Amino acid sequence: MNRTEPIIRFTNIQKKYGDFAALKPINLEIFKGELFGFLGPNGAGKTTLIRILTGIIKATGGTVSIGGFSLEKEPESAKRMLGYVPDRPYLYEKLSPLEYFDFMGGLYNVKQSEITSIGEKLLKLFDLWNKRNDLIESFSHGMKQKVAMSAANLHKPDILVVDEPTVGLDPKSVKLAKQFFKDMTLEGKTIFLTTHTLSVAEDLCDRIAIIRSGEIAAIGTLEELQTKASMPNNNLEDIFLKITEEENLPKAII
Amino acid sequence: MRTLLFFCAIFISIAIYFGLLEFLTYVGKGETLGPTLGPVIGYFILSKLLEMLFMALFFMLLFSSIISALSFLFLDEELSILMASPTKIITIFRSRFILMTIDSSWMTMIFFAPVFFAFATAMRAEALSYLLFILFLCLFVLLPNICGAGTAVLLSSFFPVRQMRKVFQFLSILVLTGLVFFIRSLEAEKLLNTKHFEKVSDYLLSIQLPLSAYSPSVLIHQSSMHLFNGNLKAAFSNIFPLIIILVFGLLALNILASKYYRSAWQFSLEALDNQILGMERLRKILIWPLKYFKRDFKVIAEKEITTFLRDPAVFSQIFMMGAIILVYAYNLSILPLKDIPSFYSKSTNNALVFLNGPFIGFIISAISMRFVYPSISMEGRAFWSVKSSPISPQRIMFIKFTLYLFPMLILSLILCTITNTLFEVSHSYMLWLSYFNVIMITFVVTSLAIGVGTVFANFSADSALKISGSYGGFIFMILSGLYIINLIILELYPMYRTTFFKNNLDLGYASPSLFWINIIIIFVCTASWIYIPFKKGLNAINAYEPD
Repeated sequence: MNRTEPIIRFTNIQKKYGDFAALKPINLEIFKGELFGFLGPNGAGKTTLIRILTGIIKATGGTVSIGGFSLEKEPESAKRMLGYVPDRPYLYEKLSPLEYFDFMGGLYNVKQSEITSIGEKLLKLFDLWNKRNDLIESFSHGMKQKVAMSAANLHKPDILVVDEPTVGLDPKSVKLAKQFFKDMTLEGKTIFLTTHTLSVAEDLCDRIAIIRSGEIAAIGTLEELQTKASMPNNNLEDIFLKITEEENLPKAII
Repeated sequence: MRTLLFFCAIFISIAIYFGLLEFLTYVGKGETLGPTLGPVIGYFILSKLLEMLFMALFFMLLFSSIISALSFLFLDEELSILMASPTKIITIFRSRFILMTIDSSWMTMIFFAPVFFAFATAMRAEALSYLLFILFLCLFVLLPNICGAGTAVLLSSFFPVRQMRKVFQFLSILVLTGLVFFIRSLEAEKLLNTKHFEKVSDYLLSIQLPLSAYSPSVLIHQSSMHLFNGNLKAAFSNIFPLIIILVFGLLALNILASKYYRSAWQFSLEALDNQILGMERLRKILIWPLKYFKRDFKVIAEKEITTFLRDPAVFSQIFMMGAIILVYAYNLSILPLKDIPSFYSKSTNNALVFLNGPFIGFIISAISMRFVYPSISMEGRAFWSVKSSPISPQRIMFIKFTLYLFPMLILSLILCTITNTLFEVSHSYMLWLSYFNVIMITFVVTSLAIGVGTVFANFSADSALKISGSYGGFIFMILSGLYIINLIILELYPMYRTTFFKNNLDLGYASPSLFWINIIIIFVCTASWIYIPFKKGLNAINAYEPD
């Protein structure tokens, strides 16, 4: 990881829905080769920031730069650097995984031969090769998640953005996915992920940001967060609860 | 917007009512058959038309109710929560039955109401008859829904429900297509022409016999005829058997639901949908030429064709549309104009050829509403994958526009060629004008379908039928109609100068200028009609934030 070279830069990013500020001005830099975890309680703004990063929704203010390309001014070049796996993998149900790969690969202008070879490798990795010609409509949530994850990597993106990667996956697949992310960072790729499974973040992430009510409440490595929270021997769960103030909830509610 | 739509709906209902009333009054008088025989035969024809209408309504509702029942009783996402609640299973069934009845019937009822009222007025019914007729109609509508719900529950106990829904959607379109041909094959127009009278004398002898004795459509038909004639006692005695059938039907449905609904719902959860219906060869043929196109166009077009062919509810509508086109062409071929020499002239033929373009435009609009208008919405919740990709929204819309424009242009040009041949167009100016008109209309209608379809996109709708039958679909049809009217108005002056009166009037100096100004306005207007909806759609797609 090269900490001098931010590959993603959020500058004063904010998002408002009427009077409600889903994201207050956020400034954040993610570095090349980094596995960055973005944590926060429900409704804190994690998915909103991810959707701004992937160009699905537009920020009310601020700028996003991806690999030096401005998402607002050069959206095509910026988006080409990203692969995105959403939290709810809605796919084209009437296509098979291979047809879906052809479609997604075509949108990113990936060569047909590469789509075929990368698609085969990933489907085999995720135990879906024997389902390659079945319609996606018959797949479970976890299987769709694996298809979405494979499709996001067809164009060999420099940055993989993953929203809740472990939801719906069985333990074997979770292990596979974690190893897959680690291997990607070893190849110099950057991963931006959100998760509620704090053990996953603790295992994988080089740095972690905790968002609370649309603002970044803390950011750093696990050790840095422990220091900031004055909890040197505690795990990420304790730190997370302290920072997001959930530990102060009445015991009866918890 | 809702107020505008409401008033548009009222306007269309009034237009249907008065248009049909004019036609039915003409048919009822039977003027071409003379003052004595005409009204008698006219009355029989009205009665027969009404009976056919009830029969068509019954079958439409029957199939629509089976499809609705499968959705509302088995496939709806809310059902899991309801089934897990402490509510009695029969209460859940009853509430879903009421919802499915409303869902399957409301649109048909709204469309048919002004049609039936036109019949009532043509037969000079009294005010009370209209009110009672609404009650009778509600009773009649209930029956196909009972049959539909019962069929759905029984079949779902034995067969995978998701496949059945596809099969019934397919069958319902085939049945409707058959009905269009059946009704047209009765050739009711021959009854008004003495030239054909000998041929139809046998038919006249049997015209008073119902199409099928004791069928529900016959019961409602006979009671309605009595109602419209002011004979309330006979009307009630005819509707009484229908009420008895309904009571027994509801009781039987209740027993059936108590016994089988829960287990059928359970079975529906186990039956996964994973079949590619046998359209693969056609799909491969259709996508083969795409390899010569640019990559993004190729993959988006391939995806559109594949999803289209794998959704029987969508592609089966081609049969319905095909039937409408054939009936339109057939109607033109039997236009009895040449049988009336006093009316027929070259100018009449030219006027008809001139109006043929706009008529084709309406057919193209109807087809676009079914196939082109839903294309953006049908991206569904998977639209995130396109929106997060490097393809720009302009490019997506342009690809969709081009993709649908091509088959629409081919279709409109084929229609125009066929109808021009039927009209025996000899005037080359009129011939080229008709092609010019359909090309202009097809460009505008396709752009409107994509643009309005994007502005009113519903990415969570589960069927193209729902999307095209929505408010946005309605707005699209209104706008298409407005453009066609706009085009006709703008072409009236050049037509007037060049075709009808060019030999009779002195053109002078001003007229050629006006002529060319008019032509320029036509192009500017058409370009605006193409650009504005496209731009509005683009703004909507840019602003859209998927779930």
